[in-house]
Amino acid sequence: MTNSGRNPHRFDQTFLGATELDDELIKQLPKEVLLRVFSYLDVVSLCRCAQVCKYWNVLALDGSSWQKINLFDFQRDIEGPVIENISQRCRGFLKSLSLRGCQSLGDQSVRTLANHCHNIEHLDLSECKKITDISTQSISRYCTKLTAINLDSCSNITDNSLKYLSDGCPNLMEINVSWCHLISENGVEALARGCVKLRKFSSKGCKQINDNAIMCLAKYCPDIMVLNVHSCETISDSSIRQLAAKCPKLQKLCVSKCADLTDLSLMALSQHNHLLNTLEVSGCRNFTDIGFQALGRNCKYLERMDLEECNQITDLTLAHLATGCPGLEKLTLSHCELITDDGIRHLTTGSCAAEILSVLELDNCPLITDRTLEHLVSCHNLQRIELFDCQLITRTAIRKLKNHLPNIKVHAYFAPGTPPAVTSGQRPRYCRCCEIL
Amino acid sequence: MNTEKTKLKMPSIKLQSSDEEIFDTDIQIAKCSGTIKTMLEDCGMEDDENAIVPLPNVNSTILRKVLTWAHYHKDDPQPTEDDESKEKRTDDIISWDADFLKVDQGTLFELILAANYLDIKGLLELTCKTVANMIKGKTPEEIRKTFNIKKDFTPAEEEQVRKENEWCEEK
Repeated sequence: MTNSGRNPHRFDQTFLGATELDDELIKQLPKEVLLRVFSYLDVVSLCRCAQVCKYWNVLALDGSSWQKINLFDFQRDIEGPVIENISQRCRGFLKSLSLRGCQSLGDQSVRTLANHCHNIEHLDLSECKKITDISTQSISRYCTKLTAINLDSCSNITDNSLKYLSDGCPNLMEINVSWCHLISENGVEALARGCVKLRKFSSKGCKQINDNAIMCLAKYCPDIMVLNVHSCETISDSSIRQLAAKCPKLQKLCVSKCADLTDLSLMALSQHNHLLNTLEVSGCRNFTDIGFQALGRNCKYLERMDLEECNQITDLTLAHLATGCPGLEKLTLSHCELITDDGIRHLTTGSCAAEILSVLELDNCPLITDRTLEHLVSCHNLQRIELFDCQLITRTAIRKLKNHLPNIKVHAYFAPGTPPAVTSGQRPRYCRCCEIL
Repeated sequence: MNTEKTKLKMPSIKLQSSDEEIFDTDIQIAKCSGTIKTMLEDCGMEDDENAIVPLPNVNSTILRKVLTWAHYHKDDPQPTEDDESKEKRTDDIISWDADFLKVDQGTLFELILAANYLDIKGLLELTCKTVANMIKGKTPEEIRKTFNIKKDFTPAEEEQVRKENEWCEEK
């Protein structure tokens, strides 16, 4: 085999190592190729490349290598000068930045950032607890291309922030203001009016988010696909019914701990939101079999359902879901105390059971027995089952289930039996506090 | 759908390396190169059995390797625009590729240049990832040593760039 003339000594070299004969072979690579190499590097490597030589310093700090940055790993150390440094090197290239958990970050830094990086589309400021409305004001002034912002747990944020975003960021599609407890209907109304492309809205734990807020979203933002109003306790059927009717693209809804809701909400969803794939209604104690019957009839794409503490539902709900929801993958029935073996039997004969169902949570369902586990043997895809405090389930039955489904994770707890008689002089082998009396 | 029959009749094309070696190549394989594909289509050479595509920037050693790679990957799906924007990983190199790239740095860089010139996205991606992996986890001094790069900072400059970038280091 003939060798190409350029590097006659190459076959003497060790693999992937340069010898002193090679005078900076890497210099052959044109700028755009080296930039492509750098595009595969994380921020730590890029910062080190910047210290190699003058040429690499320029290239490693070239904004095109800094389009997506996640600084979560450095959260403790991120302070003003670093943000300034990054803003200047990234400039218009920066499209996605996560500053999650950077607790030292203040409004001044966010202003510098917004001022330099006008093309940011995704900005995660969750748990940046110091920032205030001043930050969102600068974002709305400079970052008009913003499509997603996460302000989860930025507890100083008020309605003014939502007004700024409404004015300056008309392309916003996703916003998370969970645990920003100062947010109220006024802010949401402003947001909804200005950001009509909104698809995802999350306001977990915002106690002031009420029916009016949801109705504004329903009225102005017809593209809503994901809504999470976990623990927004005053929300009632009237706003959920409007949402259902006005936002037909709704796919994921969490109304857990919105305990005033009734079957009327479920019926409205079943009537209008056929694309629904995720429904979390934990703690909605008014829901009954009638509501889930309606859902099972129309929402055939449901994949994940959390029905924890919907304690009025019976085996009938499971029968309806088994018939109507062939894609059901994860089902939580914790504390649904009326569920019996018969309900699980319905579920396992349904169309989702054999191939799709992968997680089933049954903890604190006191009526289920070993028969339930016998039924579940046919669910080949089952990966995890929760059985805490299902007191009629025996170890033997769990062992049998595991024989059929060797990869399944079973979470159960059995109190130790009567402790063996303690022989004198030896310490007791069981911790007494773990026993059920 | 390709029937057995058309497969047998798969037309070939002649590629000529910089050192004037001719490579008789399956046209489908040659076309994984955007550059060759454009040449064939723009110059109407596709139906001409005897046409020779000159590749003055690629020598025979490298071209042979490129074609070996292209042959192995001929059924890969075309990379899409969407791939450009997704998370950039470097730990997803398949073992055949890793073996294929157990070469010295000179060859690796020549392969990169060839992939770049011939516009073969998959090979360019693979080779650049490999270089990125040679950089990852190393200190500036180790990087210099790996690629035999001369430090051209003055001590003052070096101290300044170190300070500017120290935030990313573990405290």
